[in-house]
Amino acid sequence: MQIIPAIDIINGQCVRLTKGDFNSQTSYSNDPLTLAKNFAKQNIDFLHIVDLDGARFQKSCNQKLILQIAKTINKPVEVGGGIRSLESAEMYLRNGVSRIILGTKAIENKSFLKFLLKKYGPEKIILGLDVKNNQLGINGWQNFNSQKNVFEFAKEIKKMGVKTVVVTDINKDGTLTTPNFKLFQKIQNLGLNVIASGGVSTLNSLQKLKKLNITGAIIGKALYENKLDLSEVVKTFTPKSNLTKRIIPCLDIIEDKVVKGVNFQKMQVIGDAVKIAQKYYQQGADELVFLDIKATKDNKKTIIETVKKIAAKIFIPFTVGGGISSLSRIKKILRAGADKVSLNTAAVLNPQLINRAAKQFGSQAIVIAIDVKKEDQTYQVYIKAGTQKANLEAVSWAKTVAKLGAGEILLTSIDRDGTKKGYDIELLNKISKAVNIPVIASGGAGSKNDIKAALTQGQADAVLAASIFHQKKVTIKSLKNYLFKSNLPIRL
Amino acid sequence: MIGIIDYGAGNLQSVKNALQAIKQPFRVITNFAEFNSVDKIILPGVGAAAFAMQQLKKQNLITAIQKTKKPFLGICLGLQLLAEFSEEGQTACLGLIKGNIKRFSEDLKVPQIGWNKVKTINKTPLTDGLNPENYFYFVNSYYLEFSKQYAIATADYIETFTSILKYKNFYATQFHPERSGKIGLQLLSNFCNKCK
Repeated sequence: MQIIPAIDIINGQCVRLTKGDFNSQTSYSNDPLTLAKNFAKQNIDFLHIVDLDGARFQKSCNQKLILQIAKTINKPVEVGGGIRSLESAEMYLRNGVSRIILGTKAIENKSFLKFLLKKYGPEKIILGLDVKNNQLGINGWQNFNSQKNVFEFAKEIKKMGVKTVVVTDINKDGTLTTPNFKLFQKIQNLGLNVIASGGVSTLNSLQKLKKLNITGAIIGKALYENKLDLSEVVKTFTPKSNLTKRIIPCLDIIEDKVVKGVNFQKMQVIGDAVKIAQKYYQQGADELVFLDIKATKDNKKTIIETVKKIAAKIFIPFTVGGGISSLSRIKKILRAGADKVSLNTAAVLNPQLINRAAKQFGSQAIVIAIDVKKEDQTYQVYIKAGTQKANLEAVSWAKTVAKLGAGEILLTSIDRDGTKKGYDIELLNKISKAVNIPVIASGGAGSKNDIKAALTQGQADAVLAASIFHQKKVTIKSLKNYLFKSNLPIRL
Repeated sequence: MIGIIDYGAGNLQSVKNALQAIKQPFRVITNFAEFNSVDKIILPGVGAAAFAMQQLKKQNLITAIQKTKKPFLGICLGLQLLAEFSEEGQTACLGLIKGNIKRFSEDLKVPQIGWNKVKTINKTPLTDGLNPENYFYFVNSYYLEFSKQYAIATADYIETFTSILKYKNFYATQFHPERSGKIGLQLLSNFCNKCK
């Protein structure tokens, strides 16, 4: 469940109202930026900012301050209040705000909502449903004569493509009591992601929201009145895990030899595949990947023999890829002792192969390799060892393969491959956020720092590298020590 | 002699390779009669619970496993099959231990893939010579809830779950010792040489 602290702003000050009454305001700070920075020190999912002047006067009023906060802190920010024009919506979305919360304007003007949904998508455009006795409120909760029943309205916007709503029970807001669980559940049951707001003031309430599978909880007054400690809340609701980031040397092989090329071309022999595999295993590699880069008929037979030899010598998981296009071939490779296969061209040409392979061998055995080139600000998928454009956009292809049952994605930037200029962080970040299966970063590792960046900024679950290990620029041990000292979860 | 149960779902090769590496004689067993020819039994696991249960039933192995007094090691799915029920395919399992197999919530990536920290909480011959905390290789979307009664080690992924269990002659690991490097081979060697 997402933990979302709230900052409500009136005239540049951080305030809280009770039940939305502007006459009941308490001011907590005249420095919302510092407050935001302090919230952002915790592992929060979003910071919720409301321009209360904006809501009341029907236009954005504290925009400058809000944008400054969004730029300064390193956590996603959502903003609501007074977003009544395209101009003000886009001002936020183009300047570092992750998503905006629409209210009155979307209720009154469906085409406004439709336009923004189409242009920015339901991740960036969410709706605020402010509810009093099942009726929707507008204009900063000053008006409940909208004659809109909240459930009817929720159904309508769901049809229009809205996915997420912030639901506030005004009778509970700022009261430090208990949230209106029934209201949240009813709206959630309509098929919307609900972010709960109003009366969230104890760990018990939060636990109950989590049990109900509520997407997120906004916490306001309880933080300011010290009824809840944000660090404790975050600690309680951050999922536990000691899973480590994986370091995966990659061996491009022809028959039983390891080779290396630049930009998928110019090959040179580096050594014996089994010996190099054993060396990396001894040095503490977490997994290995072998790519059969020739994949001719004769070579395919030899590869099976090589896989058998490797499997008898190393006792960590390894993946084999290159020219695999049938279930029978997958079976042969797995039976020879590989743990996973990686599919690339065949998956693009025949996506159902992913589905069938996942059903027969389990998702964990099916890695989908995606080779990507950046073209005109979009990421394009390439097949046949980077020689042919697939006419697929990378993010949507990643989502498709995850849906079809892929267990992991091996993501290679062709632009960076063999260049040692660092991984394509933007690409990694996009794909990591788009799917809920592990993403392995590949292409461009030139230094320890590049690898760290892929695992932190890029949010990769594992990194694959070849030349820096083959050329002994970096040993696996020194790399792992470096990452461990940088506070990353690493198996030493 | 170690018997590795082949129920037609999992890939046995990596378990065979690991036993070879630690110089343990083994044979593959597919039916009840063959249980008599081995001293210890390994139930490896890659695949889905419902399918595995169907296969065990077809091969008349359900009662054989339930009644065996021989040291037994379940690996991954082989651990989950010892429980009463699995959410994976909504299937009844062997019911040797109390508890159900649940799917991880999507709060983190599912399946869990990689090396996770295994914390030993009770001493057994299986974990002899191991540190209190070790990394082992996991691949799982489902888990057995932590239970004081059976857990000899735990691990954390979204929830704290049972990573090694023991009940009478039954041992089981949620991770893959055959894929967990030297430490994994040591655990397998402990099973072969120390578990009675």
